[in-house]
Amino acid sequence: SGELYCSLPNPRNVRFESINMKNVLHWSAPEGTGVGVVYKVKYAVYGVGKWIRKPECRNINRTWCDLSSETSDYEEQYYASVKAFLNGTCSDWMETTRFNPLTDTKIDPPMVSVSSTDRSISIILTAPEKWKRSPEEESISLLQVYPGLQYNVSVLNKKTKKRWFFSISNNTLVVPWLEPGTTYCVSAQIHVTTPVLDSGFSKEHCITTLKDK
Amino acid sequence: GACRVSISMTEIRAGFTAIKTNIQSRDPIRTLSILSHPHSLHKVKSSDRCCITYQLFTFYVDKVFKHCRTEDSFVNRKISSIANSFLSTRRKLGQCREQNNCLCGEESTEKFKQILANYEGLNVTSAAMKSLGELDILLDWMEKSR
Repeated sequence: SGELYCSLPNPRNVRFESINMKNVLHWSAPEGTGVGVVYKVKYAVYGVGKWIRKPECRNINRTWCDLSSETSDYEEQYYASVKAFLNGTCSDWMETTRFNPLTDTKIDPPMVSVSSTDRSISIILTAPEKWKRSPEEESISLLQVYPGLQYNVSVLNKKTKKRWFFSISNNTLVVPWLEPGTTYCVSAQIHVTTPVLDSGFSKEHCITTLKDK
Repeated sequence: GACRVSISMTEIRAGFTAIKTNIQSRDPIRTLSILSHPHSLHKVKSSDRCCITYQLFTFYVDKVFKHCRTEDSFVNRKISSIANSFLSTRRKLGQCREQNNCLCGEESTEKFKQILANYEGLNVTSAAMKSLGELDILLDWMEKSR
């Protein structure tokens, strides 16, 4: 279908927003356009010759489009592009910068589970999983994606406000020589050394050590 | 063969990340890649990894960095610091070759020929800038196969 002369202002700030490799294309509406604007989306694998239209994001009025499925191979890099339409006219195609799922994703904090004895606490950390198409699909931990993945763990003595930091590569940590009957709060962060990626810290998990026997 | 070389990946990666968007925006060609198409580095056999790494570091040192000057002094400084890291790493990899720990199989030779063909298919400045913009493809592959 031939497209009309494109005089509509362009979609703005076209970019991928990615968390645990759930890769969603976002953009802002063209300046000065109210309701009624619709969009088309296409994407391309870098180094491969063609743009591919995303049917589920054809003539949509929202300003995002989930391209996780199309960009799930993190050994490839991608571009995506958006075009706006309104009252028979259109904008130019507006592209993202080159998107590398491996380095351009954000990582959620790890899951933290804590147990205690009278004088120690045991911490088990679980890295988030890579986005997957359906619950039935095999889960891939981000631990498998990033060989250099480590955990930074913070342990706070709620009574004395003394805090310790640990940096560990495996996912379990036992903190010994603690005080009985005392509450300790644990929070953890994922740190990937290269490419450099840091999650936020998880919310605190507090536990009280058993009273002295 | 086994060949353990310490590479300042974090330093190279940080330098590249600082200029990635700038460099990649100078490469308008979406439909061609130097390193990743038609054959992906990720398909290289582990026995060929040492050789391909040496060849790629030589490729960047001898063919790419010298053609990557820009009008931006910050970008130029980052490029030369990456180039220096590549130079020292290539030297270490070269020692592996001399000790015969870095054998080149048919597949890696073929793969490298393809990379050179991709490179020669563009004018030298475009090819060099595109190669530099693909540094994360090389780093991703190296880190994955550590």
